Amino acid sequence: MALELREDTGTLSGAVTVEEVEELVAWLRRTPGARLSLHNCNHLHTAAFQALLAFAPKVTAAPVDGFLAVRLLPVLDPPNAAVPEGGHHDDRDAG
Amino acid sequence: MNPLLAQFLAEAGDLLDQVGDGLLRLELDPGDAARVNEVFRAAHTLKGSSGLFEFPELTSLTHAAEDLLDAVRAGRVPLDSAMTDDLLATFDLIRGWLAHVTVEERLPGGADADAAALIERLRAPIGGQAADMPAGRTAGVARHAPDWVAHLGARVVAELADWLDTTSATMRFVRYLPDEGCFFRGEDPLLFVRQVPALEHLAVLRPDAWPAPDDYDEYACLLGFVLATRAAAGELEYVFRYIAEQVEIVELDAAALRSPAAAPVPAGTGPASHADADALAVLEAALRTLEPHDEDGPPGGGPSATHLGSVAHAAAAAARALGAPVELDPADAAGMRASIRSLLERARTAGGEPGPAATAADRRTGEPDRRAADADPGQVGSRVLKIDQAKVDRLMELVGELNVAKNGLTFLAEAAEEEYGSRALSRRIKDQYAGLHRIAEELQSAVMDVRMLPLSVSFSRFPRLVRDLSRRLGKRIKLVTEGEDTMADKDVIEALADPLVHLVRNSLDHGIEPPEERTAAGKPAQASITLSAVADGDAVIVEVADDGRGIDPARVRQRAYERGLIDEEELETLGDADAVNLIFQPGFSTAEQVSDLSGRGVGMDAVRASVERLGGAVTMRSEPDAGTVTRLRLPLSMAVTQVMVVSVAGQRFGVPVDLVVETVRVPRAGLAQVQHQDVVVLRDEVVPVVDLAGTLGMPWQPDPAADHAVLVVNVSDSKAGLLVEHFHREVDVILKPMEGLLRDAGQFVGTALLGDGLVLLVLNLKEVLSLGARAA
Repeated sequence: MALELREDTGTLSGAVTVEEVEELVAWLRRTPGARLSLHNCNHLHTAAFQALLAFAPKVTAAPVDGFLAVRLLPVLDPPNAAVPEGGHHDDRDAG
Repeated sequence: MNPLLAQFLAEAGDLLDQVGDGLLRLELDPGDAARVNEVFRAAHTLKGSSGLFEFPELTSLTHAAEDLLDAVRAGRVPLDSAMTDDLLATFDLIRGWLAHVTVEERLPGGADADAAALIERLRAPIGGQAADMPAGRTAGVARHAPDWVAHLGARVVAELADWLDTTSATMRFVRYLPDEGCFFRGEDPLLFVRQVPALEHLAVLRPDAWPAPDDYDEYACLLGFVLATRAAAGELEYVFRYIAEQVEIVELDAAALRSPAAAPVPAGTGPASHADADALAVLEAALRTLEPHDEDGPPGGGPSATHLGSVAHAAAAAARALGAPVELDPADAAGMRASIRSLLERARTAGGEPGPAATAADRRTGEPDRRAADADPGQVGSRVLKIDQAKVDRLMELVGELNVAKNGLTFLAEAAEEEYGSRALSRRIKDQYAGLHRIAEELQSAVMDVRMLPLSVSFSRFPRLVRDLSRRLGKRIKLVTEGEDTMADKDVIEALADPLVHLVRNSLDHGIEPPEERTAAGKPAQASITLSAVADGDAVIVEVADDGRGIDPARVRQRAYERGLIDEEELETLGDADAVNLIFQPGFSTAEQVSDLSGRGVGMDAVRASVERLGGAVTMRSEPDAGTVTRLRLPLSMAVTQVMVVSVAGQRFGVPVDLVVETVRVPRAGLAQVQHQDVVVLRDEVVPVVDLAGTLGMPWQPDPAADHAVLVVNVSDSKAGLLVEHFHREVDVILKPMEGLLRDAGQFVGTALLGDGLVLLVLNLKEVLSLGARAA
């Protein structure tokens, strides 16, 4: 079980797949100010990652996984609340 | 095969026809903006639908073609013949691929190499700038950094530039914009990013504003990625091999990083309008998927529940992109169809810009009415069913069997009267028969009507053929088609294809002179070939006319004489018109050189043979220096044949009625002999008579006391008599070709089942008469 969602805290562990995203989003939607531990999470499906970006829950424990910790965590939880590098894209190409 | 793929293949065929036809017309009239749009849309739809399947080569190739067409549409590039060649080659290649997919459900090997070569050629005219090439390939080191590199952050870019400057090295930069529906294809963009080796920097692109929590769709991918890596281009292409069309890879050095390109936004094709067009394409594709399927689909009909779910999501995402979000219930296919249709209509009428507020209000206030009201307009217009040909054939067969069963009633009526002595019952059976007969005839004509196709089906291949061949031969030719709407049975249309191709090729190759010769002769340099069709009662007349050099009757006569096709006397006496038709004789070929177009030894006799097999006739008129007209006369339908039944030695035979001239009874003394050949003199005309029983090797001697029954027929423009025992009535039969052991029995064209259950052999009179003549 990759999702453990309680009243206002949750834990993601293992690989979060696209099948679990619906549940995750439902929980985020009804839980403003949610707190989430990613400690044991190895991979976030893009849909899950996007949901975390969109609903911006507080990440209480950094993931151990290298890619998540180095590449994605700074985007999810910008250090010093600074505006993350990168930013908005409005030039989505016609696919 | 999965029904979605089957549907795509069926549609793709039509789209390819549209594109091919449109391109040919465009080449003649490059300024036809509506036509450019039409071709572009067809290519666009093809690309959109192909994205639903795992055929990346197909998608990237159609994408390249679409880009070129887009440039033509925007007037940035004029369409020339070389481009048309490339585009035609592209869609030919795709047609070949799809044929392969139909059988194997995958693209043929080597598809990527073929595609790459064509993509390069297609991109050449629009200046294959790397920055505008979302084809997932690098074109060496780019001179300017695309603007999206800036997403990595100014500090990162500056650092990288310094490092690359110091080391004189390059790095690869990737922009990956997953499309919104990518989750439904099982793609996890982050997983691809994770697999990028030697990832140096990653920037995540987010939408300008996140949707409100209630509107947030967890299955629409809104993110994009820009990354810098030290991995080689080949490694990157490997990682992104399945999603090449969503990825842009550039290789940059320090100088390039420091000189970003000016944002290249081509006029008129802003990303917004593009995105709208794509959203519309998605909606159209969704609508097509939701159209009711025939029973070939999975049990329950239509797409599966999972499939409906993904369609609902994709359509909802597209609707949002158009600014008109809707709620779609995957369980209610009909409702979804109605909503999508109304969305499309609104989007089109509003020029692709439906006001979100207004549509949202509409939706809340009057959705049920709207749905009901929209369902009807959507079904106006001709509703066309695509039916498997085999099903129509089966229907025709059943009609044939119904006829046979129906004819059985007449035998029953006779039996009722003669064997059981009940005249009243016999009459009632005959009444029933009359009613049944009427219905069966109507049914038959209804089914025949289904089988009718316009001649345009047959003509449609010629614009391309004439274009390609005339380019190859260096001749300038205009093709004119007339009467494409004339209808004929599909068997006739299909069987017509080969003879027509042969005739058109002949005209191109031998009939039409090179431009210099034409100008010298005072004709316009551009020759014309006219294909025309016109209905003529039970027949359709198809003509192939050219304004070439015509046929020299003297040369034809001389050649026919040399080949021993005519004797010396005929050489002197044969009229010009008849001489021209000698070229239909087997063994005649006027081509002095055998070219690869025509004159491969099959010659015009093959044309005549195939037309005659259809029960038609072919004639040719020609005027030296003015041109040649070949006229094919074909029956409208071949499904039902009227035959005259005759019998000899107790065995019945059928003779096609259109060959029968008359039936005569000749007194014993009326038969004379000329050189061992029986003849009969009819109205001062000597007609050879062939004994049918003798020819077929049946033991039968005519009754010396009785008159002879002679069936006079007209075969190959000459009359002949057939000595038989009795004449019977005419019947309509469904002729079945000879099969199995009887296949080689040349005396018969086929068999048919009679009402009393007996099998009727239908004679091939040409063969029978020549057998009889040999025996005499």
